[in-house]
Amino acid sequence: MFPFIQKMLSFQRSFSVSPSLQLPSPMETHLWFVVPDEFKSVSLLNQYMELLSPCEKENVLSMRGEQLQKQALLARTLVRTTIARYQINNRVVDPRSLKFKRNVHGKPELEWESDGGQCPSPLHFNISHTSSLIACGVTVNSSIGIDIEEKQRKIKNNILAFARRYFSLHEVEHLSAISDSEVQRQEFVKLWTLKEAYVKALGRGFSAAPFKTFTICIKNGFRRGFDHADVLESGVCHKIPSSSEKALMHIGNVCKEN
Amino acid sequence: MAASTNSLISMQSRSGMAASRICSLKPVSLSNQGRSFLSFGFRSMPARSLRVSCAAKPETVEKVCEIVKKQLALAEGTPVNGESKFSALGADSLDTVEIVMGLEEAFGISVEEESAQSIATVQDAADLIEKLVEKKD
Repeated sequence: MFPFIQKMLSFQRSFSVSPSLQLPSPMETHLWFVVPDEFKSVSLLNQYMELLSPCEKENVLSMRGEQLQKQALLARTLVRTTIARYQINNRVVDPRSLKFKRNVHGKPELEWESDGGQCPSPLHFNISHTSSLIACGVTVNSSIGIDIEEKQRKIKNNILAFARRYFSLHEVEHLSAISDSEVQRQEFVKLWTLKEAYVKALGRGFSAAPFKTFTICIKNGFRRGFDHADVLESGVCHKIPSSSEKALMHIGNVCKEN
Repeated sequence: MAASTNSLISMQSRSGMAASRICSLKPVSLSNQGRSFLSFGFRSMPARSLRVSCAAKPETVEKVCEIVKKQLALAEGTPVNGESKFSALGADSLDTVEIVMGLEEAFGISVEEESAQSIATVQDAADLIEKLVEKKD
């Protein structure tokens, strides 16, 4: 189930007008995305800016150039408005009121204050964006990582040299076996996004799972194998077809710390 | 430059070395919490050039800027300098890795995966490069 927002125009000041959403069920992932090109109104973008925390505003403004600033702004707006719409515990939530923090490894998380005191937020999210698409994935009680790359993304370095450097042996073998350079490039981008999404889902930073230490096997529509099988108990991989190559990982059980 | 002077002072107190020893001809490698950014391979070192080795040379920073501009296909006139953050220039993780590979090729060095991920600014990259080049020589 992949509901998506076409436009954010319905969100003006009266955010309570936005239809509320049902939380994803445990094995479900909700994927929300917006297309930056569809946002041309400067006044609308300025309104979105007002939703952000001072820190987020500063971060948006630190981006070099209008396009990058717009992407950063839309990414935070997407996160805040989407999460607010889930209206956890049937409370109407002001997107501005949401607080975010980083876990000890730097992964952004929702800060959640339940009535009884501090407990971890049931809602997990992760975002990724390219110049043509901004996506936010949402799950309940499981880690999520998402990575997006343009399908046509050109790799400047030699692909096999790149793979030998950063990917696992199995993956290098898989790529080496592909004779068509275009197909090889696409497989490379696919693998990269899958690996990146996995590491983002783990949320422990790149050094916790260097790309060389795990393998992703792509066989007839995504079957995945890992060098250390005890890290994950189950996982499902969804592919969303569109102009951008997207890889989304939903890990059914939270990755256990070693 | 003031910062590098400070770190030189803290290094001295940490290691308990007298100033005269640091200026000696013995090669000294000092780690600061695992981040050995002050690694001196002394041959003959007048005191003032100690400061130079704590920050990357302008030429190195310039070369890094060029490689970054090329990888990210930045618009003409986009300001890029030592303080530029890769993320603020629009680099994602794949870009960062490609930039690192470009730097490896340009400078004849090899960067560890973990070090690559800790590079946030152009200056970080330039400093790391100089450290690795120095190790090589």
